Amino acid sequence: MKELATIRFIGIRMSRDFITMLLLLVVPIILITVFSIILGEAEGLTGTPIRDETVVLLVLGFQLFGGAITMNYVHQDLFAERKDRLLSLPMNTRLYGFTIMLAGIVYSIVLGTILIAYTALIFDVNWGNFMWALLVITLMSSLSSIICLVFTFSVNNFKIAERLSEVYGVGMILLAGMFFPMPDNALINMFNDYVNPLMLAYTTIDQVRSGGLSDGWLNAVLLSVLIIIAFGLLLLTGRRRMP
Amino acid sequence: MTIASIKGIVKRYKDQIALDYVDLDIHEGEILGLLGPNGAGKTTLIQCLMGIIPFDKGVIQLFGEEGAVFHHENKKKMGLVTQEITVFEELTAKENLEFFAGVYGLKGEEKKQRVKEALEFVGLSSKAKQSPNKFSGGMKRRLNIACALTHRPKLLIMDEPTVGIDPQSRNHILDAVRKLKEQGTTILYTTHYMEEVQSIATRVVIVDQGQVISEGTVDELIKNIQHEEKIFIDVNDVSTIPIERLRGLEGVKQVQVSGSVVQIISNAGAGNLDRALSIVKETSGVVGIQAEKPNLEDVFLTLTGKQLRDGEDDPS
Repeated sequence: MKELATIRFIGIRMSRDFITMLLLLVVPIILITVFSIILGEAEGLTGTPIRDETVVLLVLGFQLFGGAITMNYVHQDLFAERKDRLLSLPMNTRLYGFTIMLAGIVYSIVLGTILIAYTALIFDVNWGNFMWALLVITLMSSLSSIICLVFTFSVNNFKIAERLSEVYGVGMILLAGMFFPMPDNALINMFNDYVNPLMLAYTTIDQVRSGGLSDGWLNAVLLSVLIIIAFGLLLLTGRRRMP
Repeated sequence: MTIASIKGIVKRYKDQIALDYVDLDIHEGEILGLLGPNGAGKTTLIQCLMGIIPFDKGVIQLFGEEGAVFHHENKKKMGLVTQEITVFEELTAKENLEFFAGVYGLKGEEKKQRVKEALEFVGLSSKAKQSPNKFSGGMKRRLNIACALTHRPKLLIMDEPTVGIDPQSRNHILDAVRKLKEQGTTILYTTHYMEEVQSIATRVVIVDQGQVISEGTVDELIKNIQHEEKIFIDVNDVSTIPIERLRGLEGVKQVQVSGSVVQIISNAGAGNLDRALSIVKETSGVVGIQAEKPNLEDVFLTLTGKQLRDGEDDPS
């Protein structure tokens, strides 16, 4: 399993990728800090601090973009400049691609965990159960990486795949009503209740921290179903495109 | 002994034929220079030989095997130095080599030792802990080569390893290639710089438009195209030169005078230099002498009708 052993080097590469680090760690920290200071201790209609709601949504929202690093590394190593060299090596390139995906998921989980720790320690944001929050971050990271890879394998032009991944992230945030309130439309509501990973992830955290463990599980299961469907698509598209 | 053999390989990209029934043998211990302009099909040939891309027709034999030859054991015996610099910019030079050494199955102390040796070999020991993005173009090229050396391949394929670097780094790389040959590595060296091939290759294959158009040692290739020898003798007093005696020498086709220079054109292999010089010296002082021999550039020009550095980008 020498392919899996390369995870160490992929991890080092990712940790030294300062632009990604800036976009997925520094920018959210700045935004969280600014929003937390502005929102202060103000409470919403349900009595939950608005800051808790906003910060949790922000952290989960940035997880939607975590897959970008996975798709970039898979593209660079197996479809672009390093393709010939890596294909000439005595290794299974599909397993190597899977290793990049694993590294990308772990990387995204680590960044998410840092953000959870930062918000909990500095701004006393209530995440409910920390392990549960970590599980949700793990599901979100996995889904994002898998979906980004599906985009990479589905289109021939990588730039289009990148744009699709941005549409996925921004689209889910938009539908979740984070930019502006969404109209009370049955289709949008149904999408947010059963499909939008951001809303599923938020609801599961919100339910668990307010004691609704069964509803929390339900949303976590829905999120897992999305992952399974996306993984199926990944296998279909990957089999066709992976060298 | 033949280490790799390509027989009748055809590779098409849609309507374009990149390789057109190419035959090529690589013998153990040699430096085979694969010479051709950009777009000749050199990189495509390498990609087929390494099993990176499939080909439409033909057979490749590797290390005595035929059929499904691109299995991991055979790949472990081969190394590829890519035309592009394909090192990981985020890893240090040492980490880059550790990555490749690990993929080739090296472990523990052996891996450490091979990484150290590879860094020494390309003269980057002092830069082991630096990231390649701080390296010059030549240093990056050397690291690019080292990545293909840690596992000590039997067959090293180098695809234009000196493109875009300074003469000092180029000489370093060419010396390294010679050293590798001395250590017993078989090398397929592709380039469009004929002076590199002339200086290091034991045998040369010239490709153009996806076809092998000639092969042999440099001397053999030159001999094949050499139809005449030209001797230029710069003299003090051209009016005293016995032109008719020069014309009477065996194999001389033409004698011309241009300014103070007497130009003697003979059949190839006539060996008239000494005789012509003696005749001229009898009547005049000699200021300078030049014998023009064809080089690989002339070979290429003769065989293809175009300059070596012409052409478009490789379709692959």
